[in-house]
Amino acid sequence: MNDIFRFKIAIQTMKNHWKTTIIVTLLFMVMAVMYAGMFPSFEESIIDMMDSNFYESFNFFPHADQMHTYVGFLTLELYNIFWLLILAIMIGFIAASSISKEIEGKTIDILMSNPVSRKQIVIEKFVGLIPMFLVINFATMMALIGITTAINESLNYGNLFIVHILSIPYFLTVFSLGILISVIIDEKMKASIILISILVGMFVLNSISLLSPDYEFIGFFSFLHYFDTYMILQSGEVDVVGIFVFIILTILFQVVAMIYFERRDIAIS
Amino acid sequence: MIQKSIMCPNCKNKFTVEGNPGEKVRITCPKCDTSGYFYFPKEKPTSKTEVTVIETKNLSKFYGKIKGIENLTLSVKKGEIFGFLGPNGAGKTTTIRTLLGYLIPTSGEALILGKNIKDNIVNIKRNVGYIPGDLNLYGHLTGKQFLDYFASLRNTEMTLLDELLKVFDVPLDRRIKGYSKGMKQKLGIIQAFMDDPEIVIMDEPTSGLDPLLQQKFYDFLLDQKKKDKTMFFSSHVLSEVDKICDRIGIIRNGNLVALEDVETLKSKMGKIIKVKIKEPPELFKGPKNMKIKGEWIEFVTNEDIDYWIKLLAKYTIVDLDINEFSLEDIFIHYYEGQT
Repeated sequence: MNDIFRFKIAIQTMKNHWKTTIIVTLLFMVMAVMYAGMFPSFEESIIDMMDSNFYESFNFFPHADQMHTYVGFLTLELYNIFWLLILAIMIGFIAASSISKEIEGKTIDILMSNPVSRKQIVIEKFVGLIPMFLVINFATMMALIGITTAINESLNYGNLFIVHILSIPYFLTVFSLGILISVIIDEKMKASIILISILVGMFVLNSISLLSPDYEFIGFFSFLHYFDTYMILQSGEVDVVGIFVFIILTILFQVVAMIYFERRDIAIS
Repeated sequence: MIQKSIMCPNCKNKFTVEGNPGEKVRITCPKCDTSGYFYFPKEKPTSKTEVTVIETKNLSKFYGKIKGIENLTLSVKKGEIFGFLGPNGAGKTTTIRTLLGYLIPTSGEALILGKNIKDNIVNIKRNVGYIPGDLNLYGHLTGKQFLDYFASLRNTEMTLLDELLKVFDVPLDRRIKGYSKGMKQKLGIIQAFMDDPEIVIMDEPTSGLDPLLQQKFYDFLLDQKKKDKTMFFSSHVLSEVDKICDRIGIIRNGNLVALEDVETLKSKMGKIIKVKIKEPPELFKGPKNMKIKGEWIEFVTNEDIDYWIKLLAKYTIVDLDINEFSLEDIFIHYYEGQT
């Protein structure tokens, strides 16, 4: 039993992704600096255009009516699309291929010839992906603090920190969902595409739900509904229910993944 | 007290002496009075009590409606090399993968080292090594990184690692991606044996090894056998099974059709008699299984060699050949009429 707490598979998973971690981290730091850095040059023209006709056409973005403010701009340009969608796709892709890759590539046979349980494989693959996210998460936060200071915009860094802390349960849910798909689907591309479809689908659902109060209920089916970066950045207002939703979903996906993986045949084609 | 019949070196008189194993007895020949000492041989370590280390009871695995294996009952004893024979697709790999918990049995059960695979598979794997048939290793790791990773997962001492690396040298600092098939196979062998497990289960382990390495591998297996380790070995290469296995199981279409000592199996099968006679071969009235191949008469006989030889003596024999069944013949025998 104590073997599980040695986390050797998790450590190996971490090592396997160190290059990806560095690349994605740099990418997101650059992205953060670029978008935030663009704001001063856009600010005036956005304010000029900022009549209700204009921002209503952006209604499918959260808090589009605030896009002329620094926090609104960051939410719309950086957090909503690049953080909560693109980054989720990128690291979700890795999670969804984590176990399916071993089954498709048949390395699962040799891995499981060791005294490791299937549950352990599921947990350790999950744990092994967390450090990658933490590095990307806090490096991006630091880059954002740097550029905000450099361009002299005002941003509550305490709130920024909360956004990045609360990004953790959101991304753990994405990982956990990815791993669940990964134990069900044997082909890594297929598994990843399914996860990406779900993430994009949820993004679309959330966008639709923003269009009209009639559609609001659709948003409940989207992760994005439970994580409002604007409200946190602007006023430090935290959606406690959302945090619980993410924690419960993470645990649920992990448990289902463990049970399913435990019971399935690992056949080789 | 055991009795031993001895012969006097002087007068060639035969008589019996009594004594205990390991005892030195002074004896005198009753006939010529020559005397000397007789040493009773020490008792051989009592033939090891046969411990079953792998046991399957009516083990079946169906993939939906497709049969993988059906009602497989076999046992492998400690210290033996068990050969598991069958052509491709007969169910060898399914058996091994079910035994090792990759596939969940449809019915029946299996015990390894006395533990049920159903709820003890992780513990079982502490004492069982495995070389998969379709061996795939982590290409992005170097040989050394791979072995280190697996050593850390096993979390025990790698007592055989150095010896294995001497026998099966692999470029440890190169990435496995760049390995040849033979190198990968060697690495597969190393990882399976490096912590000197009680049992090693191998799915066609010699594929990809050149004849020289195959020989090294057989020698290594025989050394392990001397240390009372058990090896379960699937193969379709009969010569290697003949060379190293103590017992074999033959699987056909998912069913076990033979389970026997290799020598017993051979003697049970009888002898193949091939004979050429001067007279037209049709004249000879052989057993039912007799075949005429050109000038040669060919048939199999079990206990009545004497009868057939005497019958043949009535003809003019040009050439005669009596052979034991080879494993090849046995195998073909079990597969006759099968595609």
